[in-house]
Amino acid sequence: MTRHEASPYATVMDDSQLTGRPIVLAGAGPYGGDLEIPEPLVTGGKKWSDVDRDICMHAEQFPTKKWWIAFSVALTFLGVLVFSLILLFYSGMGILGINSPVGWGSFIINFVFWIGIGHAGTLISAVLFLFRQQWRTGINRAAEAMTLFAVACAGIFPIIHLGRAWFAYWLVPYPNARGPLWINFNSPLAWDIFAISTYGLVSAAFWYVGLLPDLATVRDRATHPWRKAIYNAMSFGWTGSHRAWRHYESAYMILAGLATPLVFSVHTIVSFDFATSVMPGWHTTIFPPYFVIGAIFSGFAMVITLMTFMRGYFGMKNYVTLNHMESMAKILMLTGMLVGFAYSTEFFMAWYSGSEWEGFVFKNRAFGPYGWAYFIMFTCNAIVPQIFWWKKMRRHTWVLFVVSILVNVGMWFERYVIVVTSLHRDYLPSSWGMYSLTRWDFAILFGSFGLFFTLFLLFVRFLPVVAISEVKGVMDPKVARSAPTDTVAAVAAHQEA
Amino acid sequence: MTPTSNKGVLGHFCEPADALAAAAKVRDAGWKHFDFLTPFPIHGMEEAMGQKRSWIPWVTLVLALCGILFAQGLQNYVMIFDWPMNFGGKPHAAWPAFIPITFEAMVFWAALGSALVAIIAGKKDTIPQPPPMLVKTGATIDRFVLWISATDPKWNAAEAEAFVKSLGAHGVRLVDVEGGADA
Repeated sequence: MTRHEASPYATVMDDSQLTGRPIVLAGAGPYGGDLEIPEPLVTGGKKWSDVDRDICMHAEQFPTKKWWIAFSVALTFLGVLVFSLILLFYSGMGILGINSPVGWGSFIINFVFWIGIGHAGTLISAVLFLFRQQWRTGINRAAEAMTLFAVACAGIFPIIHLGRAWFAYWLVPYPNARGPLWINFNSPLAWDIFAISTYGLVSAAFWYVGLLPDLATVRDRATHPWRKAIYNAMSFGWTGSHRAWRHYESAYMILAGLATPLVFSVHTIVSFDFATSVMPGWHTTIFPPYFVIGAIFSGFAMVITLMTFMRGYFGMKNYVTLNHMESMAKILMLTGMLVGFAYSTEFFMAWYSGSEWEGFVFKNRAFGPYGWAYFIMFTCNAIVPQIFWWKKMRRHTWVLFVVSILVNVGMWFERYVIVVTSLHRDYLPSSWGMYSLTRWDFAILFGSFGLFFTLFLLFVRFLPVVAISEVKGVMDPKVARSAPTDTVAAVAAHQEA
Repeated sequence: MTPTSNKGVLGHFCEPADALAAAAKVRDAGWKHFDFLTPFPIHGMEEAMGQKRSWIPWVTLVLALCGILFAQGLQNYVMIFDWPMNFGGKPHAAWPAFIPITFEAMVFWAALGSALVAIIAGKKDTIPQPPPMLVKTGATIDRFVLWISATDPKWNAAEAEAFVKSLGAHGVRLVDVEGGADA
């Protein structure tokens, strides 16, 4: 039996029939052995034309009540963010918890937290693309959008952390009338500007290039002339010509190849903000890989959270199947163990280095006044994901959802532990102090979630949430094709209309 | 060259494998100005259509080098010549500190430039395309549309139509009015 002769891949399965294990065709393999084929990535026996309808539907009809409820909640939190920021600019940094000795507070924690979440999208699109992981097609669009919005949230924090946010443009090197006084290119904080802005723009380009064919699909389904014209302009008049696909595919591969090291470089540079300082607990060589793995970990957790909603409320169960969720759960468990390994390595090195300061900082982290935060971090990040050793748990929607939330709580506390515990007790005991978040710290933190979810809900309202052209490419043509008679009739019908 | 004429012949296939086989036949029959309009890229279509590999990687290489030069130029100019400052006795040309920004600038130029050039190339490095009316009901949904342009050197309307039909294409139609059905 060959592939072209239809049947093995022509298996039609429902989401509930998926097992997460290969389908075994006894005696169908070479030399009479068994042939194992993967379960279909798209369930429910969908046709290519169904994909268009199922995915574009949400961008075409008036939003549902659920969407309006979610959107109004998100907008409320966005309002909280805007109000808090106005208050912050009006009255100054005094409304926040930062003070000597903890001069880096919730803003830096939130910045690292959001930029970490922003890492999974490009990882899914770029790294999984290069590794030919076809299951990425179901989730990459939403994950990339998530990346952009998380980077947008992250970008706010270093700017408001400046204190005088209205001078943020001084961070950019440009010929100016102040000398010209340039930025210090030896500073990791200057590297951050380049890393974050490059990451944001390259992720946006990657996302948009992926969107082009799908925008053309939305255009071709549109009936209103304005809508058609807008989506046509947005897709740069995409026709699906193979002479265009040739360059498109080449550029997409190159973007993936460039985005892969970019993902790793960005969080490495973020970790340099800490690692190039002389603070015990920060000044360690493990920081770049530790931060990158933590970023992937938290990003995948956020993807699982969002995908649970998309499966439940947007009817995406046939495109984001339980097998997709299971794959993500496996990555979550792997990266969770790597993060736990990094925590343990830090402790080992604190002892093995023989450095008195380093040893103190780590004892203080785990058993000092912020021991509770360390406990939350370690439990949520290193222990909770261990539940995914059980296949049943990896395929259980509620377990996945709860674990994904806990992981993000844990990852926020990881940054809390790193930032606060190193600063609050440094070399000089007379300058020790404590740090706590004020209500405005909390308001800005929760408000940033409002910004994130507002942008995400607008995205699901106006753009295809699944990469249509990529999903079509991994479907079985024998199942997904339409009969030629249908299409001839459709052309005729369209021309008459 | 910006395409001007949109005369030609169209026909569609329902499966990528059929389109791929047809493309090889069109290529072997000596047609040059033909194209496939498909909802997703088909693996192996470049060879089947007799196309060369995309030249986009060369654009990326040049832009990446530009990015490196830009970042190195800016940082060295600022830190060594324009406003040298002493940071803890470190050398002015602290090249390891310039690496992160050099890398980011390289990625920035190469990625954004390649994306932009690829989008423009898709419109410019092509043959005259069919009038949109005739393909839009299928080429972005589930049909694999073959298009032979009248600009082809061996163009002959009757011959081309018969040839496309002989490939087993469905819904074959000749566009012999300038502007086609969309005009």
